[in-house]
Amino acid sequence: MAIIKATKTPARPEPLSETSVLGWLRKNLFSSAFNTVLTVFTIYVIYLTVSGVYVWGYADATFVAETRRECYGNSLTGACWAGVIDWLDNIFYGRYPRDELWRINFGGLLLAFWMAPLWIARAKGKVLVGASVVVFYPFLAGYLFSGGDKGLFMQVMVSGAIVAFVINMANAIVGILKQESIAQFIIKRLGQANKADKKQRNLLIGLVAVGFGAAYLWQSSWTVEFVTWTKWGGLFLTLVISGIGIASALPGGIILALGRRSKLPVLRVLSTGFIEIFRSVPLITVLFMATTMFPLFMREGFVLNNLVLVIIAVVLFNACYMAETVRAGLQAIPKGQAEGAHTIGLGYWGTMGLIIMPQALKHMIPNIVGSFIGLLKDTTLVSIIGLFDILGMLRSISKDVPWLGLHKEPLIFGAILFFIICFAMSKYSRHLEVKLSAGSNH
Amino acid sequence: MTDKTDRKAAVRVRPKEEFNFFQDQRVRSAFYQILTAGIVGWMVWYLISNTAHNLEVRGMNTGFSFINATAGFDTDFKLIEYKPGIGTYGDIFIIGALNTLLISFLSIIVSTVLGFIIGVLRLSSNWLVAKVALAYVEVFRNVPLLIQIVFWYIGVFSLLPVVKKSLDLSFGAERVILNNRGLYFSTPIPGDLFWMTLVALAVAVIGAIIYRRRARQRQDASGEQTKTLLPSLAAIIILPLVVYFATDMPLEWDIPTLQGFNYVGGTSVPPAFLALLVALSIYHAAHIAESVRAGILSVNRGQSDAAMAIGLKPGKVMGLVIIPQAMPAIVPPLISNWMNTVKNSSLAIAIGYSDIVSLFMQTALNQAGYAVEMVGMTMAFYMFISLTISFFLNIYNKRVQLVER
Repeated sequence: MAIIKATKTPARPEPLSETSVLGWLRKNLFSSAFNTVLTVFTIYVIYLTVSGVYVWGYADATFVAETRRECYGNSLTGACWAGVIDWLDNIFYGRYPRDELWRINFGGLLLAFWMAPLWIARAKGKVLVGASVVVFYPFLAGYLFSGGDKGLFMQVMVSGAIVAFVINMANAIVGILKQESIAQFIIKRLGQANKADKKQRNLLIGLVAVGFGAAYLWQSSWTVEFVTWTKWGGLFLTLVISGIGIASALPGGIILALGRRSKLPVLRVLSTGFIEIFRSVPLITVLFMATTMFPLFMREGFVLNNLVLVIIAVVLFNACYMAETVRAGLQAIPKGQAEGAHTIGLGYWGTMGLIIMPQALKHMIPNIVGSFIGLLKDTTLVSIIGLFDILGMLRSISKDVPWLGLHKEPLIFGAILFFIICFAMSKYSRHLEVKLSAGSNH
Repeated sequence: MTDKTDRKAAVRVRPKEEFNFFQDQRVRSAFYQILTAGIVGWMVWYLISNTAHNLEVRGMNTGFSFINATAGFDTDFKLIEYKPGIGTYGDIFIIGALNTLLISFLSIIVSTVLGFIIGVLRLSSNWLVAKVALAYVEVFRNVPLLIQIVFWYIGVFSLLPVVKKSLDLSFGAERVILNNRGLYFSTPIPGDLFWMTLVALAVAVIGAIIYRRRARQRQDASGEQTKTLLPSLAAIIILPLVVYFATDMPLEWDIPTLQGFNYVGGTSVPPAFLALLVALSIYHAAHIAESVRAGILSVNRGQSDAAMAIGLKPGKVMGLVIIPQAMPAIVPPLISNWMNTVKNSSLAIAIGYSDIVSLFMQTALNQAGYAVEMVGMTMAFYMFISLTISFFLNIYNKRVQLVER
């Protein structure tokens, strides 16, 4: 069949360029009548929302006032941010003594500096940096935050932390300047580079021991004032609980996941049962159990404060969720990897630690960070059992006499704070995922 | 490989396997297992003996006799008959469990529908719509659920007008009323002959199913398509209506009316219920939207290209080609989301909705003091729900895998 026309069909008009602004608008917003209606409607909804929020939250809002009544005197339709601003210290630090706030800030700063080398490409020994943070920092920070007299164990750990921090900083600086580790640098400087490994090692151990002694002497000369845990609160308490949760949920999760995939039936059954029990009940019931039932489980007279109990509950609960994430990562690794590792003579721990686990964890980074975000958000539940974490503080603003009944603004402020932290974490995990997968060939 | 090593390998004899007690696989595995079992067993024994001792010392009650004991407190929201002083703790457990199930069930339905809509909108060709859906997902996923629940409760549903100035959501008919004490709506009371309407409805539905099956058979045989949606809908709506009017409208309405300071009659739900429903639905919809989007993206692009090439409209491409293939990827995360909804409904305790945790594990426990039993029963309830849901999930997964082959 042929179609014959007497006249030549005129050429169709040149299509609109998709790269120009007009072309882009046409393609993405006004491609059909329905899409045009949808776009206009959406713009209208966005306009209503944004203008409403702007007028309430900024244009009509009161930022400086002594009481809520004063806010009302200023404007009836606007937000009363003055209450939130008045309570900022409480929101961030709880009822921590105002003269001692520097300790919290200093602790935070210390952590930032300690972890900074992890992000510096030229710094060496990143695994050691990470391990030193997990092993030593909690003790230093724990003492810094709670204070009081140091027991012998605490003195040792604090000294260790100080030494580790100093070495870490020196290592980072040497790494940036010379791109070598602090150990190599010292050995070169002392002209020991050609000596036997053992001699070099002994020298370094000696130096660390001297440093430790100096640190021990120095730290025993000062103490900080004791602050009881009931004064801890606000965002600080939230970060302490979730920080410990994050640091211990991953190792705990790895152990449980390995147990669940173990060939030994007893280990497998126990891990599976543990994981499934914790995963099938809500966190709030676990928290209640920790605070009300734990004293029943222990010998008479064995008392732990609520903060410790809550932390134990959060750690166990999240370790079980993390175990499932890790297990999913382990399952995604092809069997050939383990077989290959066995062929070159690695045992169980060698195979897991050097071959399987690094790949599995890399694979699961978005999910692991997702669990961390979930943990941070879940920490707000401790306000239900009477700890004054950030949500507890936000809710007590409305009970403060000058700001009686101020509910909305504190909650919105808290929501914004959490949004910023969680959103940044998830964006960073996506960036990390792209960066790490760039080097791999699949 | 050189000759030298070749010869060496050939000469090497496999060493005789010697039994080394410390290196033997079986001995080691038995050792580790006995060790673990021993430690765990000792811990369990330690906890149980301590608990028994403590319960005795403190003179706390044990046993399950409290289930039949009368409870002296009331609750504002219950689905079964219960009066304080007459009802038992067993009734309290059932009320709490039903309340948890009701709020979870409703939230699951709303969040799933909303989640699918937003998940599809995330992939809309309209740039603005896609970005708005993205903003919805990011905002509601990154704010703790508890803050959202408290916000909806204190910031929205408690600030509604007082009873005298109630909002009428039924446009002046006074059938659906919203105020700061909750939502009131009229409930139908079936009359004597109402069963006939139900029978008519059942007949219509069965007829529609048979009609649909016929139409499918005819399409398979001849390729002819028959319209099924309109006729079946018409039958399902018209037939019961006809019967309903023919039997002289055997349905009365229990309408909420203002008496004194409050509305009486109809059905009412407290503000805490509404706040929890809205917060759970919105929060979980954001999560479901992400898994729907991931599921849709997991379907090969060629599928939608091919579907469009054979002339299907965009809606049908989605409904007949993409979504069915995306389902195996969507369902597992969807169901784990449903489980999370059930578990998260326990946050009701923050705003005082009487779910199983706040009613049974908190109030009843404080009143009666059977701590171990009550916490155990609550946990067992949640475990039962989780196990039931994962049982059905496993069945679904098996079926999907079989179909794939």
